[in-house]
Amino acid sequence: MLARVAENLYWMARYLERAEDTARLINATTMMLMDMPRGASFGWEDLLKVVGLDEAFHKHYDEASESAVMSFLIQDERNPSSIFACVRMARENTRTFREVLPRESWEWVNELYLYTSTHLNHALDRRKRFEVLTEIIRRRQAVVGLLSGTMSRDEGFQFMRLGRNIERADMTTRVLDVSYAINLPYQNSRAALELNLPDLIWMSVLQALSAHQMYRRHVGVHARGHKVLAFLLNDLQFPRSVRHCLHEIQFALDELPGAEPMRRLQGMLNLVDRADYHALAENGLHEFCDDIQARLADLNAVIAQTYFRAAHPQKMTQSLFSLV
Amino acid sequence: MKIDCGSYPLMGGFDELLEAPGKPRKGAEGLCDYFAEMASDELEARHRAVDAAIMAAGITFTVYSEAGNIDRAWPFDVVPRIIEKAEWDRIEAGLKQRLQALNRFIDDIYHDQAIIKDGVFPAEVLADSKNFREACVGANPPYGVWAHICGTDLVRDGDGTVYVLEDNLRVPSGVSYMLENRQLMKKLFPELFARYDVLPVDDYTAQLYDMLAALSPRTDERPEIAVLTPGVYNSAYFEHSYLAQQMGAHLVEGSDLVVLDDDCVYMKTIEGLTRLDVIYRRVDDDFIDPEVFRADSSLGAPGLMRAWKAGNIGIANAPGSGVADDKVVYAYVPQMIEYYLGEKAILPNVPSYLCMFDADRDYVLANLDKLVVKPANESGGYGMLVGPKSTPDEQAKFAELIRDNPRNYMAQPTLSLSTVPTLCDGAIEPRHVDLRPFILQSKGLYVTRGGLTRVALRRGSLVVNSSQGGGSKDTWIVGGTI
Repeated sequence: MLARVAENLYWMARYLERAEDTARLINATTMMLMDMPRGASFGWEDLLKVVGLDEAFHKHYDEASESAVMSFLIQDERNPSSIFACVRMARENTRTFREVLPRESWEWVNELYLYTSTHLNHALDRRKRFEVLTEIIRRRQAVVGLLSGTMSRDEGFQFMRLGRNIERADMTTRVLDVSYAINLPYQNSRAALELNLPDLIWMSVLQALSAHQMYRRHVGVHARGHKVLAFLLNDLQFPRSVRHCLHEIQFALDELPGAEPMRRLQGMLNLVDRADYHALAENGLHEFCDDIQARLADLNAVIAQTYFRAAHPQKMTQSLFSLV
Repeated sequence: MKIDCGSYPLMGGFDELLEAPGKPRKGAEGLCDYFAEMASDELEARHRAVDAAIMAAGITFTVYSEAGNIDRAWPFDVVPRIIEKAEWDRIEAGLKQRLQALNRFIDDIYHDQAIIKDGVFPAEVLADSKNFREACVGANPPYGVWAHICGTDLVRDGDGTVYVLEDNLRVPSGVSYMLENRQLMKKLFPELFARYDVLPVDDYTAQLYDMLAALSPRTDERPEIAVLTPGVYNSAYFEHSYLAQQMGAHLVEGSDLVVLDDDCVYMKTIEGLTRLDVIYRRVDDDFIDPEVFRADSSLGAPGLMRAWKAGNIGIANAPGSGVADDKVVYAYVPQMIEYYLGEKAILPNVPSYLCMFDADRDYVLANLDKLVVKPANESGGYGMLVGPKSTPDEQAKFAELIRDNPRNYMAQPTLSLSTVPTLCDGAIEPRHVDLRPFILQSKGLYVTRGGLTRVALRRGSLVVNSSQGGGSKDTWIVGGTI
């Protein structure tokens, strides 16, 4: 497989994952808003911190109003992590390796792009937002399903698997870290203030990651700190848990040449495996999440060094992103 | 709007589907009946479905403008063009004959130049050729074949004669649209295919693969084949990626390749370097090897010519093949066929006046308002003068161009290109068409079943190039109606 193509596949999967994760996060947030008393202010600034875009935002906007934040996260091309920018980049990348994917996958990515470019405006409006973003999630999932059902598990597939899971693990630690540390806006909801249930704080974290239903089903109805952390960081079966993502990365690396990425991965697996989640729920979560994010960034660099170097002797990777 | 054979406004020239108002040609009856039966809103609905399918499939070409590069949907017309198989068989034989002679010519030019020594081809035409490559002299590509993929443009004049308009031997494009057009027609008009035996076109990519594989220097293993593209911003990028995908070949850019000291070509892969055997290059000669041609090119790979001359890589089309893709050289193809093959040309050339000859030039200068003047080396329909549609100012400008550089210009009578019924803004009207079949040659010879019918969508226009408002149609070679 050409190094350039491998790199484009890897990034295409990351872009699409990021678009979907952002759409999910926004949907969860919008739902939470409805629990708030009318007239209450909402900490949009904090939502930007969750995705690590607060600095980038303030380069272009003064005040973090709902319309400004939504526009920035959803459609602003100056934000390389906006949903529209991610979908567009994914489509541009897909163009360059149409020959390695099943033919329909280009068409579906292209349709996702066409839908996104014509409908995203509506997502700025709260009334249509849920519907449009859900449709984007659905179309992105269709692409994943199509590839899963029609593509050989060749090297190209493994690079997409790598990209998707590194991105997803990163997003999980980010939401977990920041949302708890900065009192995510959801936690100020009327119910939380009136009932003062710690449960609700953790439940909001689960919701932001679309994890609440599986948590209830497999762990329990009460969202206790250490259980939520163990679920989101170390559960083997939940596809957005860090541990699950790391295993997916491991399976992908098994099919690819080179030993160094696997060595780095092992360190991360040990970390989530041996963590004391009771203690983490009390303190040290921020440092822990930071550590995992740094290791994911390191793994990203090692993957680039191992597989993509031939494509760009100087430039290491597509460095548009601030997240990793 | 229905195709109503009775009211269809024939333009007086040759129409490919109708012989006379209300009278379909042999083979076209079923098609005319079918469209006549179809309600107008139904036809419009299908046309819209075609447009949507094209957008979704991303079948696009890129238009360059100051406002940026725009991806345009490929304009497709739903009414197919029909050619009877008996007529097609003759055309196919003529195309094979022509490409064989052209390849003999190119090989001769880069070796003994016997055709010049024997006085059949003028030495001064070669001396002034922009596409002759000194670096290719003495090279020996497999089977003595240089131009492996040829897109020959055919036109039909008012009396029904099919002429060869030009031979595209450099990097002809359009074949992917031919294949896509058929896919679209099958999706949108499945019931039409039940009425007709249409020869399938989709074995082209397998034929292309076999043709390329036969160029591999390593005959004992499955060859590594790559399509070399200038990149995603090239207007034909869609086709490059399409062909690579259909052949299961790599799609590479110059920066993906490296030529080592062993004069072999390698691809940069995730595991290091992998040897490459055959390159289907869609990059012009000038850009393929900065060691030999333009030093500022980053579209090719340094050392490619070394590897090719050493016989370590197959390149299609071979560097230097463009020497025969020249509108002045074109005028000599009938003589080449006689000289190399000892046969009469099956397909006639359009009569051509070469401005390098005094008598021809005088005639051209005196008749600029009637002739089509073409530069020898342009493609894409650029730099032409269409006499009957030109202003005196334009004619004066061309007179000057011709006097300054007579070798670079030739002229032909303005043909009344044939027409095919075409859906235009809700009405069916005649529009001018040409036809570009694709011919392959390495170990064997192959011709596509039909080719790409290009249609000038503007009323009265003779320019079919997609960059200038042209569209396309599906082309059917039919054995007869059911």
